[in-house]
Amino acid sequence: MSFRTFFLSLSASFGLAWLAIVIVPYFKMRALEPIAVEDGDGTNAVYIPKRAGRIADGAEVYAANGCYQCHSQLIRPTYAGNDMFRPDWGGIAGDEDRGDTRRETNAFDFEREKFAPIGVARLGTDLSNLGRRVEAVYAKGGDAEKWLYAHLYNPRWRPGRRESTCPSFRFLFQVVEVKGNPSEEALDFPVKEGMEIIPKREAKALVSYLLSLKKDQSVPDSLNFTPPTAAAPVAP
Amino acid sequence: MSSEVSQNLEQDAVLRASIDRSLRHPVMFFLTSGAAWLAVSIILGMISSAKVHSPDFLDSWGWLTYGRTQAAHINALIYGWGFQAAFGVIIWLLSRLSRQECRAAGLILAAGHVWNLSIFVGILGILAGFGTGMPWMEFPAFCWPVMLLSYFAIMVWSLVQFKVRPEGHVYISQWYLMAAMIWFPWVFITANVLLHVIPGNPVMAAGINAWYKSSLLFLFFTPVALGTAFYLVPKVSGRPIHSYSLAQLGFWSLAVIMPWAGMQKLTGAPIPYFLPYLGATATILFFIPALTAAVSILRTAIADPEIASHSPTLRFTMAGIVGLVVMAVAAVFLNIPGKTLELSQFSMSGYGFEILALYGFFSFVMFGAIYFIVPRITRREWLSRRLIKWHFFLSTYGVSLIALVAIFGGLQQGIGQEAFDQPWSEASQRAFPYAVLITFIWFFIMLSNIFFFMHLTVMWLRLGRRSTHPTLLVSDHHGSPHGEDGDIDNAGSMTASAH
Repeated sequence: MSFRTFFLSLSASFGLAWLAIVIVPYFKMRALEPIAVEDGDGTNAVYIPKRAGRIADGAEVYAANGCYQCHSQLIRPTYAGNDMFRPDWGGIAGDEDRGDTRRETNAFDFEREKFAPIGVARLGTDLSNLGRRVEAVYAKGGDAEKWLYAHLYNPRWRPGRRESTCPSFRFLFQVVEVKGNPSEEALDFPVKEGMEIIPKREAKALVSYLLSLKKDQSVPDSLNFTPPTAAAPVAP
Repeated sequence: MSSEVSQNLEQDAVLRASIDRSLRHPVMFFLTSGAAWLAVSIILGMISSAKVHSPDFLDSWGWLTYGRTQAAHINALIYGWGFQAAFGVIIWLLSRLSRQECRAAGLILAAGHVWNLSIFVGILGILAGFGTGMPWMEFPAFCWPVMLLSYFAIMVWSLVQFKVRPEGHVYISQWYLMAAMIWFPWVFITANVLLHVIPGNPVMAAGINAWYKSSLLFLFFTPVALGTAFYLVPKVSGRPIHSYSLAQLGFWSLAVIMPWAGMQKLTGAPIPYFLPYLGATATILFFIPALTAAVSILRTAIADPEIASHSPTLRFTMAGIVGLVVMAVAAVFLNIPGKTLELSQFSMSGYGFEILALYGFFSFVMFGAIYFIVPRITRREWLSRRLIKWHFFLSTYGVSLIALVAIFGGLQQGIGQEAFDQPWSEASQRAFPYAVLITFIWFFIMLSNIFFFMHLTVMWLRLGRRSTHPTLLVSDHHGSPHGEDGDIDNAGSMTASAH
């Protein structure tokens, strides 16, 4: 076999797969058609979740600190796993404001991010709905941001979380002297008199990003795979 | 007639020695700096794996947080050790196989320094918090064009040598190695350009990243290790390959099946539905190229059990091929859609499988090659058979435990993850013992490689034995394993009797 034949057969066998599973799907999915949704007040809007400003910075902090090594962001459909049935993972089953919001991950969930942090392993929980979970369950009635700051500072501090293996992100916080009024963002951890622990810029960005991870928006009908329930109100 | 034969043998020996001489600096550079990166990776691996079960360990510094050390660990293992070991072995093997001296040793050496520099900057970048967050592509984005250019500067000479070689049969090792040399830049450019330069849908980008990881394993490390094994085993055992057509079948099945693998890691993600299933199917079918190659290599090696157990090269290579068989079994066992795929998708079996492939299969074959190549280019023999034995046994223990983590640990953890009516801590508790085991694994591998690093340093300093008798792993004490006393030939591998 000459080198030429060898190279051509190699290119053919590899190139076919390369085109079929990499190039064509990538460019087909490059610009998803925007989906129109009916807003509450009857106006038309486009279904694209928000990702801008500090949330985008927070996604970079999430990536740089390797959160994806232990946390996934993927709610698989029921044919591929049981993620939908985990309480509060894919949405909240009995959300007081919005009813059952559970759904699987859709192609728009990571829109305007550079790379979807699907995750390598689940040594920790799935974070697809973390923002809503903190607001509605963990920090119910309290301050969700403060809850997350405390959790990042020491994940094993709260009772019931002593077994957590999440690393502490103390290096995203700084201890500063209190000047005038104490900071509203100061953490409730013991610290020397006259000092306070406040989040650095990275911690603020990260928490904004984490709170943006929500699965509670209304989804356009074309993306909504939840079977209609009998109790659902019928449009007049 | 017989004088003609002996003259030919002598010419051959001179040619081999001059090839070895022309390549001694770049090959030794790649092997020693690769070993140094292996040390870095092992230390980072121990730190990061300890953090999984003891999260308070070294937790006050940002640059040592788990997410960064784990990424630095795997990238050092792949690009620092894996690629450099592959470079050293490929340029040497392809020079030998196309019977050409290397005329670009200086340039290869310079490009090798550039490669090392970009890995160094990349690892520092990850630890300093500039990682990209794409698994196996965490180096800051400015690293990849430099790596690509130095890759071409290192590899292109082997293709030139092949082009101008004397006419003749193209051996199966050359197929494997050249295929790997062509596949890697194709995969590397595709993944980096699509993910860094042409932003697209982020979920599909994650799919391409999964394909990139799988392609490095199956289309670079696997063919490099197989090409090397197909050279070493017949060479050391002095026998032709057991079934050459089986070997060819192995090669073409690898080329046809493996480019489709990888996206099963995104099962259930919003990408076209057929992609994960194709990926799972192709990964399961990995057993075809793996077992065909393994059968023909192992049948060749065990034809003479005595040589197989005495030669360090053969022992490491055969252990690597056994690692390949285990890897093929794991590939089938962990990727059955609807059965085990959903259990293994987000469990530690992913990491276990990667380490099984990178260390249990690829690195073992590379160690075999290093034990073969280094005496030839330094013209010194390995100093101690005990150091080699300890390297072998401790590494083997480490790798057997890796297989355990990859297969059982992953499934155990996956079962816990899928049990949605139990609290999440149930899943964590199932993973805990295996997380402790991973720390032990890296500890074993570190111990084993301390022997290897010492030995390689001694060889690098040209302090090996000056002898024509290779260091063999014979355990009886009748006489010296190094041959008769005083039987020393300073010409080393230059003589016809050493090959």
